Amino acid sequence: MRNYIALLALSCATPAAAKPIAFQNGVTMMAEYGAGTMLETQAFYAPQYWYSVGAGYLRLEDEDRTFTRDIPYARANLLVKRWNTPGAQANVFAYGGLGAARGSDFEGTELATNAGLQFDAESLRWYGSAKVDWQRSDEFDHRIDTAQLGIAPYKHDYNKLATWVVLQGRHYTGGLYDGIEAAVLLRFFRGPLWVEAGVTNDGYPQAMVMFNY
Amino acid sequence: MKHYIVSAIVAIALLGASSTALAASTIEMQVDGLVCAFCAQGIEKKLRAEGATADVFVSLERGLVAVALKPGQDITDAALGKLLTEAGYTLRTTKRTDAKLEELRAAPAEKK
Repeated sequence: MRNYIALLALSCATPAAAKPIAFQNGVTMMAEYGAGTMLETQAFYAPQYWYSVGAGYLRLEDEDRTFTRDIPYARANLLVKRWNTPGAQANVFAYGGLGAARGSDFEGTELATNAGLQFDAESLRWYGSAKVDWQRSDEFDHRIDTAQLGIAPYKHDYNKLATWVVLQGRHYTGGLYDGIEAAVLLRFFRGPLWVEAGVTNDGYPQAMVMFNY
Repeated sequence: MKHYIVSAIVAIALLGASSTALAASTIEMQVDGLVCAFCAQGIEKKLRAEGATADVFVSLERGLVAVALKPGQDITDAALGKLLTEAGYTLRTTKRTDAKLEELRAAPAEKK
């Protein structure tokens, strides 16, 4: 059943997030600002720990400010596989959905599909993730690849503030950005709140906030 | 005679074990995959929904989930394993103790 849903999710097609599923019966709300190129908000509800459903809004703008995409969408997220060890966890997520896209360089509203894959692994001191997001319609085809490596200067417990230094590399296709956009981020989380902020190699700010309940 | 002695030892051992189980007020569990606050949040939410649960403590640094039980109540190991699996984590060991959650909260994490 889970494999079938994974295939279904991939056959649809979407954008980025931290972990799209927090816990069973949990709601995840997220907003990310990506250096002027990407702005995204999402809200998901997880009936089980291994899948969630919800909606989001994505705005993309190319680095030369010549075109924009505005895509509200519905999306399903699936935890395909999880590995639990005494001091670490690793996950594979797949997600996909449908949206309605408008753009500054085409007329009207287009049906847009989105799909993505994410692998992440973390302990209380290190973190790594790789993610691929696709956004497609008859008018555009964008892929956003993101890799992150993080180090925590100290181990954090549930009731303590967790601090991470994260290095990020991001690659956009479809004319959004040439080359690799690098960023250095500071990530903090405590209890249900996660806040992240940093700067890219072009000097643009990047920020994310996430809340789970 | 030998049989009587063996039976008596077994009976005393069983009595001791059952009285320990009855007296246990806390279940301490070692859980794999505890690496983030959201993990702890999900597990806490799940265990607090159990009728036998009085309080829950999760320590990421110690990989520990502890449940304080309501007087005279218990949650079986099988049920705990199922709850943690449904939360997305792996139960490694369980231990029934008389430790108070306040004591567990105050205990320092072991250096690794």
